[in-house]
Amino acid sequence: MSFIKPKWWPWGVLTVISLIILAFFVLYPLGVLFNNSVRDESGALSLAGFSQLFDDGVFLKALGNTLTLGVTVTTLSVAIGVPLAYMVARYEFPMKNLVAVLPVVTIVIPEVIVGQSWLLILGNNGLLTNFMERIGIELPSFYGWNGLIFSMTLVYYTYIYLGVLAALRGFDGQLEEAGLSLGTPPLTTRLRVLFPLMLPAVAVNALVVFSLVVGNFVLATLLGSRVPLLSVMTYNEFINEMGGSPLLQSAMSVVSILIVGIVLFLQKRVVERKLYTMTPGRAPQAAPVRSGAAMIFTGCVGFIIFLSILPLIIVFVAAFTETSGPVMRWGVWSFASILRIVRSAPEPVFNSLTFASMATVAGVVFAVLASYLIIKKRNALTQSLDYIVVMPLTISGTVMGIALVQTFNTGWLVLAGSSAIMVLCYAVRRLPFAVRNASSTLFNIPDSIEEASISLGVSPLMSFFKVVLPVMKASIVSAAILMWVTTIAELAATIVVYTGGLETMPIAIFRQIDGGRLGLASAYGAVMITMILVPIIVSIKLFRINLFSNR
Amino acid sequence: MASISIENIKKAFGGNRVLEDLSLHIPDGAFYTLLGPSGCGKTTLLRCIAGFHEADAGRLLFDEDDMTRVPTHRRDIGMVFQDYALFPDKTVFDNVAYGLRARGVGKAELRQRADRAIESVGLASLAERYPAQMSGGQRQRVALARALVIRPRVLLMDEPLSNLDAKMRTQMRDVILDLVQEAHITTVFVTHDQEEALAMSDRIAIMDRGRIAQIGTPEELYGMPVDAYVADFIGSANTIPVSIESADPLSAGNVRYLLGGRSLDGVRACDRLDGTGILIARPEELSLAPVDPIVPNAVPASVLRRQYLGFKTSYRVKLREGPEIRVDLSAISRAVDFHPGDSVQVLFPAQSRVIRA
Repeated sequence: MSFIKPKWWPWGVLTVISLIILAFFVLYPLGVLFNNSVRDESGALSLAGFSQLFDDGVFLKALGNTLTLGVTVTTLSVAIGVPLAYMVARYEFPMKNLVAVLPVVTIVIPEVIVGQSWLLILGNNGLLTNFMERIGIELPSFYGWNGLIFSMTLVYYTYIYLGVLAALRGFDGQLEEAGLSLGTPPLTTRLRVLFPLMLPAVAVNALVVFSLVVGNFVLATLLGSRVPLLSVMTYNEFINEMGGSPLLQSAMSVVSILIVGIVLFLQKRVVERKLYTMTPGRAPQAAPVRSGAAMIFTGCVGFIIFLSILPLIIVFVAAFTETSGPVMRWGVWSFASILRIVRSAPEPVFNSLTFASMATVAGVVFAVLASYLIIKKRNALTQSLDYIVVMPLTISGTVMGIALVQTFNTGWLVLAGSSAIMVLCYAVRRLPFAVRNASSTLFNIPDSIEEASISLGVSPLMSFFKVVLPVMKASIVSAAILMWVTTIAELAATIVVYTGGLETMPIAIFRQIDGGRLGLASAYGAVMITMILVPIIVSIKLFRINLFSNR
Repeated sequence: MASISIENIKKAFGGNRVLEDLSLHIPDGAFYTLLGPSGCGKTTLLRCIAGFHEADAGRLLFDEDDMTRVPTHRRDIGMVFQDYALFPDKTVFDNVAYGLRARGVGKAELRQRADRAIESVGLASLAERYPAQMSGGQRQRVALARALVIRPRVLLMDEPLSNLDAKMRTQMRDVILDLVQEAHITTVFVTHDQEEALAMSDRIAIMDRGRIAQIGTPEELYGMPVDAYVADFIGSANTIPVSIESADPLSAGNVRYLLGGRSLDGVRACDRLDGTGILIARPEELSLAPVDPIVPNAVPASVLRRQYLGFKTSYRVKLREGPEIRVDLSAISRAVDFHPGDSVQVLFPAQSRVIRA
């Protein structure tokens, strides 16, 4: 190490290495994507791709649809999430504790399962569709706007709910008391004191939901066959242009990155500045509600929770239900579907396990290192690390996949078609979340314990391993679990980067749904949810950690 | 055990110069306090000695060994932090044994030394506890044991008592002094609490905006402050502008000054004095007398406020043609009592020091 100044070892060196890795796997692919979007067939600089897109009626319609869907789902999510959070934070009513399952539900039930199970209920051959038909009521088709709006709202309202709930709990009740003491009546006080303080929290989370809807591929492709949407169209173009010049797919990807980029910029620049820091005071007491109102409260909350958990139940029931082709024979139990995937097509299960394990290890190691550098070794370089790490947030899964395939399908490093690209894709996509997770813990660890270790004669690098890592243990485990869980269920990027022999469970589910075999899809779904639940349960029991404390 | 020499150390953060060409010698075995208000650079200086900051210029020696470029973990120091910095996932024993393990101390010796260190701070029965299960005072004891058990060359303490309540703080002073004296170790102690500094130190360096204002024993700093800043920081002092009547240029010491229309005797505390000077007068050195008869070395004044504090009574008085000052009369010497509105004379002792304005 004599050639490296002691000042630079180890953290300076590790910062540079991390930056190089990120630049290569995040910045470089994005650069390739942007570059491809402005090159014509001959490789000359041109805006032909974009002009072609904006002349294309279908593309403009898809763009309009996507934005409409984003606004609609966001509005509905706010309409459900905010009152729910308010009821939970401020009132006491029977069975209120049930809401504790909501954060778990959002993690445990992947979108693909949500889409699939609602198809089982409300699809063309759905349970409720058939039942209503028998009593003479024809339900509107679930495919298209109805299904998209319904299922996405059910997936995304929890983001609003959790964000606003946290804000409401952080609200200092004395502010309201101050308002009352100054002579405004209770309702006016809430409107004038509470409402303005909660508005930024609502806006921040609403923008997140909007960007997630715009980038959503899974539900869009499962349910939106009659509604052209940007993400699905980008994917189809990717399939079309396979082997040719990747002009239109790149241009479309760039458009969706720009939409999300603008939204996140708004969030950072406009909304987050308005977030008020409140001195943590006493949170206001939850007021008990009386019998009549309590019934309504419990009923509303119970119904929402029921709708959120229903996919979980449906998938397990369907996995053990007899099927003949596309027809589910509800009430007739059978192991046939489960046995069939175990016997004849278990590869997706193994693939998912392998890729998710590798991505989890790689992602967590990198995330811990990066967040340590960002939080504990502040300087210009680690600051730029901080910016690059969150970049994957602006990029939907499909677009990330396209960028990686375009970048690593030729040249000296060919990853396309290998399992490495799957792992890479997973790790990069979940990096922002893992870093955020680790950072919040690191932020609460005082620098002095590390300095104490160094002062006692342990080198800085060893102090990190001996003192910092043990203290971070719980958050590393929870970051690992969240990474594991979300990569197991990842579909939007997988569908772009996977090749024959590398199918994962979500891909298998997707294909079975596509082929109308909902029984087999459910069997894969049940296995997948089990693989998601087991590590969560084990870690909660084994490490006694509260996985959802900082959500 | 070692002496510490700091030679012309400079340290800046960005454009903010925190230490300006600072030199200091800390003798072997001394209990040496860096005292000053927040932002004076005392913690920065301590962290330079520890090696957490690298000085921009200057040298640092332990005895004859140049430590300027030696990384912290090879400096062989013991450090006690303001927030104790105990490892939350390790028991008391493992916290104390940490530094021994880093030094590769054998199992039997490690056990014995760690046990003895824990015992010496009176925590033998709590060795298997975790930091979260202990009180602030107990954590502070663990931090001390952990720093001392490795028998470091120097012990560095960064405001170690500031997170404790008043009663525990005085108790811990004794604990620290006992341990440090027993180990006979050079100690650098950072604090902003002048009483703590006076009570514990062999020598004190008072710092002001990155420089040393004065170095001395507690008695020297209290009795012979070189300027108004030191006078007011150690104890409290009235600083009163006076005009110099005559200063004997040959004999060091005597000065006559004018205040409130009277001519008083004082002690010259700097090389040259002419025109105006600053009189440094501690409230407890002053006394009050009725306005009649006129007494020597006194200035007429009127009482503004009287605060009864039990062991003393504190008066706020306005000097004639002078500023408002504080006069403390101890309960024992209080022969007469004064009240707001009373006309009085303030008696200045002839040993009061006059410094350059």
